[in-house]
Amino acid sequence: MPLINFAAREINYKIVYYGCALCGKTTNVQYIYRKIRPEARGKLISIATEEERTLYFDFLSLSLGTVKGMQTRFHIYTVPGQPQYNASRKLVLQGVDGVVFVVDSQISRLDDNVESYLNLWENVLEQGDDLRQMPLVLQMNKRDLPEIFSVADLNDLLNHTGSPVVEASALTGTGVFETLKTICKLVIARTTAS
Amino acid sequence: MVLGQAQMRLVNHVLQELREAAGVRLIALVSTSGQPITACSEQEPADLQSLASLTAGSFAATRQLARILDEREFTLLFHEGKHVSLHVAQVTPKVLMVMAFGSETQLGKVRLYASRATAALAELLSVPYQTDEDPAVDETYKVEAAKAIEELFENQE
Repeated sequence: MPLINFAAREINYKIVYYGCALCGKTTNVQYIYRKIRPEARGKLISIATEEERTLYFDFLSLSLGTVKGMQTRFHIYTVPGQPQYNASRKLVLQGVDGVVFVVDSQISRLDDNVESYLNLWENVLEQGDDLRQMPLVLQMNKRDLPEIFSVADLNDLLNHTGSPVVEASALTGTGVFETLKTICKLVIARTTAS
Repeated sequence: MVLGQAQMRLVNHVLQELREAAGVRLIALVSTSGQPITACSEQEPADLQSLASLTAGSFAATRQLARILDEREFTLLFHEGKHVSLHVAQVTPKVLMVMAFGSETQLGKVRLYASRATAALAELLSVPYQTDEDPAVDETYKVEAAKAIEELFENQE
């Protein structure tokens, strides 16, 4: 459920980019930050290690402007992908309205994708939500690299919810905004339905 | 979380009185999931969105630290700076109060007034939202938002 403030005429939605280490979550958010109209975005906040690996989260606020008299914003977060940072992932997931699960398409990363996907299910369940009821988009990332799984194979393995799938190369920007558009529309549709 | 106009008028009134009594520069209410709720300050707050996400993150990490130390919870977080200090207190399970202040006031005073205001705010924020207002998020909102999303993200790739 987003935060709806009738006094300030504001609605804020929280979207979390999830996935295994080095799958491209931060790259997605950095690309969005670079390409979106500056007046529509806030600062890009990154809590990262000295090696620029996400330690806690990245955060970017995007303003959709006023919709039906309500200032509408999307708060975009990433989680740290490394397995040992699960406590941080749980904290970032609190109050989430929609999830983008970023899949690293490389054959060598299959186990990491599966582990991260199961971890997402577990953490969402633990906070009393159900991933089947939650807006979710799967982004098949790194489609430009050699030695990758087909989208159909990845879909069979990781899309147990029949969620929308977007092919992407976050480094070049392909599919980045398509993913964002899809999840934004899903979270709004879900709020309207409820 | 849904906050009504009448409810927020009362909340903002409490924050205004607290700011004057405690002599702080900024008071903001933020959700524990990192969303800004409202703010009351001398000047326009610099970046409320970032303040909210970082405060919530910092508070959540502190709560986990409490659990590791077998403490039920830390309900207070304090950062002391050379020019500005930050005091964060939990108001309800889903709402935090952030106060920024300088050398013009004292920590003891801030803590005293903050603890009194926290009780009043908790009561105001615990009132369930009454649906006497325009249902803003309806089918029209959905259609208009979808259009705005297309416009915002078009030609970006």
